[in-house]
Amino acid sequence: MKKYKKKKNRLGLVGVGLLVVFVLTAIFAPFLAPYDPHQRFETTEPPNSEHLLGTNHVGQDILSELIYGTRVSLFVTLVASAAAAFIGTLVGLAAGYFKRLDFLLMRVVDLFLTIPRLPLIILIAAFLRPSVLNLVFVFAFFEWSVTARVIRSEVLTLKTRSYVDAARMLGAGDFHILGRHILPNVVPLVVVQLVLVSRYIILAESGLSFIGLGDPTAKSWGMMLHDAFEYPTIFITDLWKWWMLPAGLLIGLTILSLSFIGYALEEVVNPRLKRSLVI
Amino acid sequence: MRGLITKVVSYGIIIFIILSLNFFLPRMSPAGPLSLSGSGSGLTSADQQEQVLEEYGNYLRGLTHGDLGWSSSKNAPVSEVLKRSLKWTLLLVGTSTVVYIILGILTGAVSAWKKGKKTDVGLLVLLVSLASVPPFFLGMLFIIYFGWKWDLFPRFGAQTLFVNYSTPFGVALDILHHLALPAATLTLTSVGVIYLLTRNSMLNVLGEDYILTARAKGLSEWQILRRHALKNAMLPIVTLVALLGGLVITGTIFVETVFAYPGVGLLVSEAISAHDYPLLQGAFLFFALAILTVNFIADLVYAHLDPRVKEG
Repeated sequence: MKKYKKKKNRLGLVGVGLLVVFVLTAIFAPFLAPYDPHQRFETTEPPNSEHLLGTNHVGQDILSELIYGTRVSLFVTLVASAAAAFIGTLVGLAAGYFKRLDFLLMRVVDLFLTIPRLPLIILIAAFLRPSVLNLVFVFAFFEWSVTARVIRSEVLTLKTRSYVDAARMLGAGDFHILGRHILPNVVPLVVVQLVLVSRYIILAESGLSFIGLGDPTAKSWGMMLHDAFEYPTIFITDLWKWWMLPAGLLIGLTILSLSFIGYALEEVVNPRLKRSLVI
Repeated sequence: MRGLITKVVSYGIIIFIILSLNFFLPRMSPAGPLSLSGSGSGLTSADQQEQVLEEYGNYLRGLTHGDLGWSSSKNAPVSEVLKRSLKWTLLLVGTSTVVYIILGILTGAVSAWKKGKKTDVGLLVLLVSLASVPPFFLGMLFIIYFGWKWDLFPRFGAQTLFVNYSTPFGVALDILHHLALPAATLTLTSVGVIYLLTRNSMLNVLGEDYILTARAKGLSEWQILRRHALKNAMLPIVTLVALLGGLVITGTIFVETVFAYPGVGLLVSEAISAHDYPLLQGAFLFFALAILTVNFIADLVYAHLDPRVKEG
């Protein structure tokens, strides 16, 4: 069993490594990209020494688009999932700790859990102006409920622990107990949720961009796939090799790295839980 | 029984919320169709509020007659457009669901049986990687290779147009031929979850004493697998299948777009690019209700299989 665990943690490290590379690419995009992604050259050029991955239908350098696209894809994913995890944690803490709030808050959580979220997100995104911030907002608004439920059930068991009783005996207030004794113990769970939610959001974001709901001024990888797919001869010429393939692979690689991190974290946080993969 | 009533009531509330959202969203939207005509702006005055409420009543009454408005891009009633597309989406979802359940359970069982061997590791890497590929991207790769390069399957649509087949068998074959790639895409991107769960619950079950007993009795490997191991690994799988239903149903939006498969999912992306909001709303209602139905059935099946959750 020990050997397997080690293997899994190695996978987790691979995931973290990949993600760090992506985040650094996003941060240093202006230094890494050979051109401004909006700058226009000859259209649909094949790869050459000036444009390593050619140019797209309006003559933008595809490599620069990819590098800046990292920014957009990761920004939407990480900010939206951080916001969702934050809301979910707050709601979970409140519902788990304060009995009076529990019933009402959990009915709201149930509502958000049952409502078909992705179709609703698509509908709302279609009615809003397509922009990166709107996508962040919509995802954050709809994806906090699972986290809230997970955190609540953990808080319910944590608050019966004797050290919480002891703190209360010593006269600690509710917010002191929540902040000092309960919050630190749910942080690992929040991190796991953060990873799982971002894995979902990057997939959903690329899908939404693909069907035409992405921000046309700040193109994510999904938006690049949308452009490529709309181009009439994308499949019969070799265009797809440098226009479509890299963007798709980058999305897949990001999701894979998040999965690796998720699996490894789950094992560390909750060894009893065997629902993730056992390699 | 009480649990059932609560469930029905809460699903009723959610359906009401969805219907209301469907009505009010375009009226609140800055980019929506009604902001142009002016009737959606300034809900402050009492007159307009009354007017909106009246419209809301008409909308709900219309829904009971199946009236979903007029699709401008298709130049037909939305309900008619949906009706035409419905069968294709059901065919796609149905086929994919059946295939990915069978495939997931089979590969999961094989993987658990061969734990640590090459077959297991190979399946694990392959299926987990597939689960990380966005469905529309896999679909595009399929079109390039199976559609263009090797020319094995049709590249778009659900039927060959303008061809008269002499037998119904020919028609069915044509439909299956068109279905193959979209269904394969949807299946392969969904199978990973079932596979992992089957593999895990099988691994847990295989460690139990009664498996050892069965082996000691001299049962064949296949008998142990089928009669003892798989049976006990089924409960979590059944519930997951129902819950995954929602995922597969929404997946059709992306897969049908890639293959221009004429189902309700394709209508969503067509409505978005044509700014045909009534059609988009109609398709949204279809997806929301379909997912809720699947979830409701999942709840019922779960309660039936596992008596502990009856008072959910």
